[in-house]
Amino acid sequence: MKKSIFTIAALFMWITFAMAADPAYEAAMKKQITAMQSIPDLEASQQVTNGFIRIAEAKNEEWLPLYYAAYNQIITAFRFDVDKDQFFDQALDLIKRADEIAPGNSEITALQGFATMGKLSVDPASRGQEMSPQAMQLFGKAINLDRANPRAVILMSQMELGMAQFFGSGPEKACGMARMGIDLLKKEEAKITNSYLLPTWGKREAESVLENCK
Amino acid sequence: MKTFLLITSLFLIESLSVFSQTKITGQVDDVKGEALPGVNIFIKGSFDGTSSKLDGSFEFATELSGDQILIFQFLGFKTKELPIALDQETINISSIQLMEMITEMNAVTISAGAMQASDQSKSVILKPLDIVTTPSAMGDIMGAFQTLPGTSTVGNDGRLFVRGGDASEVGIYIDGMRVGNAYGTTTGNVPTRTRFNPNLFKGTFFSTGGYSAEYGQALSSALALNTKDLSVRSQGDLSIMTVGGGYSHTLANDRQSITASANYFNLGPYQQLIKQKVDFEEAPKSWDVEVAAQKKTGKNGLLKVMARTESGGMKLWQPLPGTEKRIQVDLRNDYRYAQANWRTILKKDWMIFAGISYSKNFDKITYDSLKVDRTNELIHIKSTATKDFSDRLSAKFGVEYFRHTFSEKLTEANQVRDYKDHETYAFTEWDYYFNKSLVLRTGLRAGFSTVSDETWLDPRVSLAYQLGDKGQLSFAAGKFHQLPLENYRVLNTTLQNSESDHLILNYLFSKEGFTFRAETFYKNYDGLVTFDGVETNASNLENKGSGYARGVDFFFRDRKTFKETDYWITYSFVDSKRSYNQFQTQVQPSFAPRHNISVVVKHFFPSLKSQLGMSFSYNDGYTYSNPNVDNSAMNSKTKSFQNLSLSWSYLPKPNLIIHLACTNVLGRDNVFGYTYSPTPNPAGVFESIPQGQLAPRFLFLGVFLTLSKDKTANNLNNL
Repeated sequence: MKKSIFTIAALFMWITFAMAADPAYEAAMKKQITAMQSIPDLEASQQVTNGFIRIAEAKNEEWLPLYYAAYNQIITAFRFDVDKDQFFDQALDLIKRADEIAPGNSEITALQGFATMGKLSVDPASRGQEMSPQAMQLFGKAINLDRANPRAVILMSQMELGMAQFFGSGPEKACGMARMGIDLLKKEEAKITNSYLLPTWGKREAESVLENCK
Repeated sequence: MKTFLLITSLFLIESLSVFSQTKITGQVDDVKGEALPGVNIFIKGSFDGTSSKLDGSFEFATELSGDQILIFQFLGFKTKELPIALDQETINISSIQLMEMITEMNAVTISAGAMQASDQSKSVILKPLDIVTTPSAMGDIMGAFQTLPGTSTVGNDGRLFVRGGDASEVGIYIDGMRVGNAYGTTTGNVPTRTRFNPNLFKGTFFSTGGYSAEYGQALSSALALNTKDLSVRSQGDLSIMTVGGGYSHTLANDRQSITASANYFNLGPYQQLIKQKVDFEEAPKSWDVEVAAQKKTGKNGLLKVMARTESGGMKLWQPLPGTEKRIQVDLRNDYRYAQANWRTILKKDWMIFAGISYSKNFDKITYDSLKVDRTNELIHIKSTATKDFSDRLSAKFGVEYFRHTFSEKLTEANQVRDYKDHETYAFTEWDYYFNKSLVLRTGLRAGFSTVSDETWLDPRVSLAYQLGDKGQLSFAAGKFHQLPLENYRVLNTTLQNSESDHLILNYLFSKEGFTFRAETFYKNYDGLVTFDGVETNASNLENKGSGYARGVDFFFRDRKTFKETDYWITYSFVDSKRSYNQFQTQVQPSFAPRHNISVVVKHFFPSLKSQLGMSFSYNDGYTYSNPNVDNSAMNSKTKSFQNLSLSWSYLPKPNLIIHLACTNVLGRDNVFGYTYSPTPNPAGVFESIPQGQLAPRFLFLGVFLTLSKDKTANNLNNL
């Protein structure tokens, strides 16, 4: 009897273990993350987003595929000539789904701020009033949720830079934040292993802010 | 032998399904047969799948076997599921067609008569920010709408006049709830303003005719103001102006927010500095206190509560034509408004709304020795339910109840006259999309009033059709009823509804940065109130008046051609005649000038951190009755009305704005009509006094400061 209980317990442990490290999931994610790093055109970009969405549909307990699908839609909207509002809206939709799986996640909150910033950029004159505090608030919340999240700090530095440019004040604050973001990225790098799936982006964004700091 | 064959074949099948991959190929198109690239195609519950190529074709391999479900997913289209049996090496899916979903973003919207101010919708004419940055508006919502097609500026009144209708023909709603006495009470040519700060609203829907069955009791127009949802951060806003000052404080978190504000206005100091044409004994002054709160309920619900109280008054001397005599007019006003509304989304695509509002207006007027107290009270209860049956068909159902009491008291004689009306309404509205380019809306509204003991029915219909990529054509028609003004109903409670029929054809072209809108309309009026005598002393009131208004208007807005520049141009032509009030024959009303033009230009100078604004309004003059010409009514017209206004907003720091504005910069002496002496002088001439402006110009200077932990906050909306 005891033995059988042990067996069952061991079996359960094995199952949970297997679920935590689902090799098929990891491989599928790796494949899309790699593809995402070298997107030549809009078609390829849509394939990557679709790939992440397929993973999300099959593994509906994971927030990461939704996160990446949303992130890729945001980058696509900034990079290619598409209906930007539509892409940002879809990103926000995916973010909402991710947030339901993992509420209070700093990365998801920062990405929501990024998408809001994107919506703002479509029509800054009339949306700035409403959306810039929204984006700032989301970045602030993301930083509070995880002070080691480089993306929250870097995205906030972008907002700060935009605001400083609009009001003609100096970029010092934005520069300081971007530098802080770079430092956090370096700390993060130490953690990155072969099977690391969590977001690591942000360097390019931080550097574009730092270009204004001479 | 047979057994052997069976076993081997079983093995064969088994090995096939285990070791071989299945290749799935096919083609995805839309319903018109055009290729759809980028469609996400995958096997349900697995990672196996692909995206369709530019020509709509797709191909992928899977190691799965047996019965599976193939999913076709594409943004904006209905997802399709296809059961397949993975029992061959290659499966070719014959052409799959995906159907586009009809959404608010891609479908045609009904634009006949309608103008939206919002950040979101695509058929937007004005943005909320435009209301506060239009120079001639001076921060008043109605001032900004007076630059839109279908309206006319009546400078000594300040209210909104739409297409030959008087100001009472515009029904004003906040979050779907009717607002009684939305304008401040005024007297003797002092223009009024809306009581509500534009800062409160996130968007507005302004209809110049043919509007939804959800609204009633407005012959010409419905103006729906939607208050802001949850505030995002805690902050304080301080304003110091040449005419007064105020402070407002907001507390916010994720689930709820509350804003409390208080203001005080006094035109006294300003009027001492700049000479006025009207002799004020006591300059207009007022104070107001307001609280607005928002709270999320459950997952999808939002509760909004708002309460406001204000008090004000003025005292002035009114000259009498033909004499040296003048009389004193003393006006005191108290106003209260409160409302609560709640909306939520239920299961199965039902959306529920419930609201209650209360307005109370109290005027104490002393006109020489005559003292009058007027109390107007309105309670409005409303509930609606909206159901989306599919992406093509949706319906709205609603019931409303109004309790409307009015009383007028002559203090000296201690005489009171009053009435209490109960009105009940039910309405329904159905939207059907034939496809994303053609939508039909039908509505029906039924009403009953206890005082006029009358039941009535308003059928309405509208249609919109997409013309090409950027253009659309809309048509609207309907019947509209409105009970007469309180001061007439109290004299004759048997007065029935006045009614109007609308017919509108609209063309809208919008492309990024450009909007062009043309609209032509015809409306007729029946059952307007007529009486003997004058407005303040009417007798023999009857529903005998009738009339018509017809015309065309154009609107062009361009935010793209010139860098950092946004401008719009409006021209409205109205031909309107009606018999109403003391006019027993059809005349052109004084509030319906025929030609109306307005131009608004805004330019932002990044180097100066400033926005410069210019607005110009013109109309060809107001009709009036001149007894020196002949006995007929409305036999004369004033010279044209012209107003050039300028404004300058300076943002030295993100949280500080300095705003300077001046109306009628050129100092044109605009006249809105004349008051005549009732009897001629010895020379046989009726002497007159022009109804003009309080002063040639109005100058405004304000400083607005936002205090918050987040230093980038600013209160541009308070301008």
